[in-house]
Amino acid sequence: MLVAVLTYVGYGVLTLFGYLRDFMRQWKIEKCQNATEREEQKDFVPLYQDFENFYNRNLYMRIRDSWNRPICSVPGAKVDMMERVSHDYNWTFTYTGRVIKDIINMGSYNYLGFAQKAGTCQEAAAKVLSQYGAGVCSTRQEMGNLDKHEELEKLVARFLGVESAMAYGMGFATNSMNIPALVGKGCLILSDELNHASLVLGARLSGATIRIFKHNNMQSLEKLLKDAIVHGQPRTRRPWKKILILVEGIYSMEGSIVRLPEVIALKKKYKSYLYLDEAHSIGALGPTGRGVVEYFGLSPEDVDVMMGTFTKSFGAAGGYIGGKKELIDYLRTYSHSAVYATSLSPPVVEQIITSMKCIMGEDGTNVGKARVQQLAENTRYFRRRLKEMGFIIYGNEDSPVVPLMLYMPAKIGAFGREMLKRNIGVVVVGFPATPIIESRARFCLSAAHTKEMLDTALKEINEVGDLLQLKYSRHRLVPLLDRPFDETTYEETED
Amino acid sequence: MYVWVLAHRPGKSLYSPISGSVVLPARFEMLCNLFYRIKMNVGVAHSEVNPNTRVMNSRGMWLTYALGVGMLHIVLLSIPFFSVPVAWTLTNVIHNLGMYVFLHAVKGTPFETPDQGKARLLTHWEQLDYGVQFTSSRKFFTISPIILYFLASFYTKYDPTHFILNTTSLLTVLIPKLPQLHGVRIFGINKY
Repeated sequence: MLVAVLTYVGYGVLTLFGYLRDFMRQWKIEKCQNATEREEQKDFVPLYQDFENFYNRNLYMRIRDSWNRPICSVPGAKVDMMERVSHDYNWTFTYTGRVIKDIINMGSYNYLGFAQKAGTCQEAAAKVLSQYGAGVCSTRQEMGNLDKHEELEKLVARFLGVESAMAYGMGFATNSMNIPALVGKGCLILSDELNHASLVLGARLSGATIRIFKHNNMQSLEKLLKDAIVHGQPRTRRPWKKILILVEGIYSMEGSIVRLPEVIALKKKYKSYLYLDEAHSIGALGPTGRGVVEYFGLSPEDVDVMMGTFTKSFGAAGGYIGGKKELIDYLRTYSHSAVYATSLSPPVVEQIITSMKCIMGEDGTNVGKARVQQLAENTRYFRRRLKEMGFIIYGNEDSPVVPLMLYMPAKIGAFGREMLKRNIGVVVVGFPATPIIESRARFCLSAAHTKEMLDTALKEINEVGDLLQLKYSRHRLVPLLDRPFDETTYEETED
Repeated sequence: MYVWVLAHRPGKSLYSPISGSVVLPARFEMLCNLFYRIKMNVGVAHSEVNPNTRVMNSRGMWLTYALGVGMLHIVLLSIPFFSVPVAWTLTNVIHNLGMYVFLHAVKGTPFETPDQGKARLLTHWEQLDYGVQFTSSRKFFTISPIILYFLASFYTKYDPTHFILNTTSLLTVLIPKLPQLHGVRIFGINKY
């Protein structure tokens, strides 16, 4: 509670200073760096909204150097970054010309480590690039349906264990263009509180009624389902045409995994449909990397629409939707992106095919399986060590997305900068992307991280945690033992 | 809605990428110039359309608010020129003034929201909980100036001048909170 109060005090102080600075800028005591209208145009309807930019001007600008950092190498486990300095408090940046090499990259969604410069994927993609060209300048329905796309879709269907699949050029567009094709007016969408913007946009574009249930809360979902079936549509009381539940496999800001068995049980009980967005969980969860469905040991036939992206674990771009053959055939005709958007470009398709075959083990090596196992080990180890150090970590034990709570606005900037000084690149997020007191630093683990890299990172995080007093946790876990468990070891958690 | 930051070099003519270095007429100069966008979109990935509605519900906000008022009162009490009644009246008046400015005068949100400007003309009080009346935050913030008023009246021993001051400032802060006045702008003040 003390931390919450101090966070509010922090934001309050920043707001007051923001008003003071705005006042000084308006009275020309301080120079205004933002865009303003010219004197002659002051009487017209204003072009810029001053207040909406308040947060941007006064809070974001101060710590802007923690975001949009320019990199100059492939974002694998280690990345090179261009160094930049700012002489006017982050309003402009200049490059010093130096390149900071080998920064441990804890920010990229590189779960299985396929973001690499050389390797089988890259060679195959280069060959296809010279064969097929860089892009397909057409939509799927006109001239953009290559044999590579058909091959990819068959492979994705086999990988997921579904009847058929379809691939799209953009992960965001997969959600926003296909949900309107599946539901329309007179249907009901039940979406989780923390769903991604693409799902929210798709839901809004569809015209269906949207009801939100609390994050991962099955009682809330059941209550909504019961109410929907009993009361029907708002005024006419007619039954809903379709009820679609939108959930994600792993939520990228929380690191929590959806309660899939319970959602499927509810879905079957109330006869609704389930749309599962596995953007972060495909390739990252499950003993063979088939996603959250395999993680829970369920059958992929229970999920009506399995959606995912190739951006995170496969090192490519694009998204897919998998499901029954009738559903996918319908989407091939009626989906907006099949009709209007360009299809995936061939080298990207080849990258997906090669990496997927690698994960499945069909290229004859054990590399895929080794990567999946390495990621699981890294996840468990990293989370365990961070909890022992005393940080507050959100999310499930097995999810490779690790949010570390920072809470106070000043610590957001401080954490980002201190970690960069120690050659570790992290992503920090604050309000309004997260609730006001819950700003966090988000680590994304990768199979490409070796134990030494993780140990270095953990050591630095420990130092920065002591420096910034980030160790809020009141639970203390006993550190991992080196000797085997016997009668003399006591309970794990001491309170 | 994006924020366009102009790379405007003062005193010189504005450079247009379209027609070389010819200055384009009138208002089109504004839009066709060299600019770079600073859009703060730091991983916005949740379905909360307007986070301002939830701010007052967050954990610890009420406590912080109460502590803030207490701090203000202590600061005023420590100034040697003010007697206790004056300090209480001043606390009441300053608190009500601050509350009026931040909850009822300032409109819109300090950050861009994806709701396409629905909240731009609403004050923070009207935005709370998306306009649902009688939620717990609204009740709390209605009761707290009343409690301050009781305390101030007690400590000023119901002196007439103090009474008038306290009552008027209480009314300025209570009347905008009535549900009948949701979205009402008297005499067009503060409309846009």
